[in-house]
Amino acid sequence: MNLKKTIETVLLWVVLIIFSVWTLFPFFMALVTSFKKLAQSYTLTFIPYLQFKPSFGAWTLIWGEESQMLRKALINSVVVGSISSLIVLILGCLAGYALSRFVFEKWKNKDIATWILSLRMMPPVVVLIPIFIMMRTLTILDTWRSIILAHILFNLPLAVWLAMDFFNELPKEMEESALIDGCSKWGAFLKIALPLSSSGLVAIYILSFIFSWGEFLFAVALTYNKAVTFPVQITSLFLSTEGLNFPRVSALILVAIVPPMILAIPLSKYLIRGLTFGAIKG
Amino acid sequence: MLEKIKSKSLIKWYFILPTIIFFLIMVIFPMIWALRLSFFNWHAIIGPRMDFIGLGNFYNILKDERFWGDLQFTLFYVGMVVIIELSLGLGLASLLNRKFRFRNFFRIIYLLPMTAPPIAVAALWRMLLQPDEGVINKLLVAVGLPLVKWTTDPSIAPISLVIVDVWQWTPFMLLALLAALQSMPQDIYDAAAVDGASRGQTFLHITIPLLSPIITTLVLLRAIDAFKLFEYTYGITGGGPAGKTESLSYYIYSQGLSYFNMGYASALSWVFLLIVLGISLFVLKSMRKEMR
Repeated sequence: MNLKKTIETVLLWVVLIIFSVWTLFPFFMALVTSFKKLAQSYTLTFIPYLQFKPSFGAWTLIWGEESQMLRKALINSVVVGSISSLIVLILGCLAGYALSRFVFEKWKNKDIATWILSLRMMPPVVVLIPIFIMMRTLTILDTWRSIILAHILFNLPLAVWLAMDFFNELPKEMEESALIDGCSKWGAFLKIALPLSSSGLVAIYILSFIFSWGEFLFAVALTYNKAVTFPVQITSLFLSTEGLNFPRVSALILVAIVPPMILAIPLSKYLIRGLTFGAIKG
Repeated sequence: MLEKIKSKSLIKWYFILPTIIFFLIMVIFPMIWALRLSFFNWHAIIGPRMDFIGLGNFYNILKDERFWGDLQFTLFYVGMVVIIELSLGLGLASLLNRKFRFRNFFRIIYLLPMTAPPIAVAALWRMLLQPDEGVINKLLVAVGLPLVKWTTDPSIAPISLVIVDVWQWTPFMLLALLAALQSMPQDIYDAAAVDGASRGQTFLHITIPLLSPIITTLVLLRAIDAFKLFEYTYGITGGGPAGKTESLSYYIYSQGLSYFNMGYASALSWVFLLIVLGISLFVLKSMRKEMR
């Protein structure tokens, strides 16, 4: 019996470590490579100082010569992410609250919710062509406005579902007694429901920002110069002949990867919950 | 009293209408527009002239070998990633479903891949899989194995993309299933243990049936997400070699926004939508049947 338990523990740790190595290895390579010189990046070395002398060349290049282009893309990504997420949060809360608290007789609440969910399931490329033509007709291609609209479309279904889920978890009684005391529906929503679910609201905002930060299809279709987001900017770099400049590509990848990572770690529970539309509470 | 009911029935629309109107403008209207466009021949790069050709675009899709090849690859990709990620995730989750030291630490490690933007993941793996200079081939050579043409061999490149997806999304299956396992009622397991059920029996006859609704949801979510494959194709292989890794999303994108073949791209969009719809209904139905 004791032997069996030992074997199980050993097995558990072997699997844990193998899976961790497999998961972390690409990140580790990017980190190490970003501190190499070009020639070193083609050698099989892993440990700085011991195996190779670290160089900050790739990082100084990013913050030096090409910083203007990258800074523009970073600003675009941050602006698009924060504005689109704010609108997503506002619309999502309103709609989620409605689906959670009010009764829609003609179109059932469930039908509206399912319809909104199905919009998230739909492959975005299906509306890409007409949206592109629409933006061109409005002459807002390659502006913040076009990409913000697209990212609201991308994130709103999820926000509605999560908000609905959070409000469903709140007990109705507080709002009901406030209504009896003469509070309006708006008042009950603004003064009671919103503050009580504030941590959920923060989660919606940050998740939506993370997805906007990484969104690529609409970004590459709707922007080409002024409004390119960071993912689009680095893609045009790593797909060019510069793609073999591993230290530089690694540094750029890290700049794209680290912000959402840092934002997501404290939200780990909400991330699973969000990706499964509340089906799993995490 | 009457007034109260009336205002009550009005105010709910203020809450939901902005969202519904937004979707009508940004999804329903574009979809109808795409349907209309799909009956026209319109090369936007030449000019605004649109020729009505009826079902011509759809007829051309039937004869389009590139479309069928892409459909075949996309289906292969979706099937492979769902099967591999589900079985790995299920195995790992049932192994990790116990108390051990540093559990939260490992949870956070496994969370990392799915927080990364897919296009950055594509860049990362493009670098690792580089045929001559990539670290994976260097490692293979170092231990005496032959080089693998990860992105340039037509029979291997599709598998490379599957590997990247498995890397990024197996953790999702793992963490979701782990969370589901941890919310299972403990007393059933206690009862099974009292009755002398073995580990394997418990897993097969209790865990799996209890999990099956969650598994259905996860499979559907992963399948639908995998259907959207675009970034890995764009960033790692560019559709090649010989078009073997071109996904349907990528094909529609290039017909529309590289060749500006708007009518044909719109027709493809609708065909793609119907395929995804049909397959998700089919998956849902067949998995429901199996559960009974």
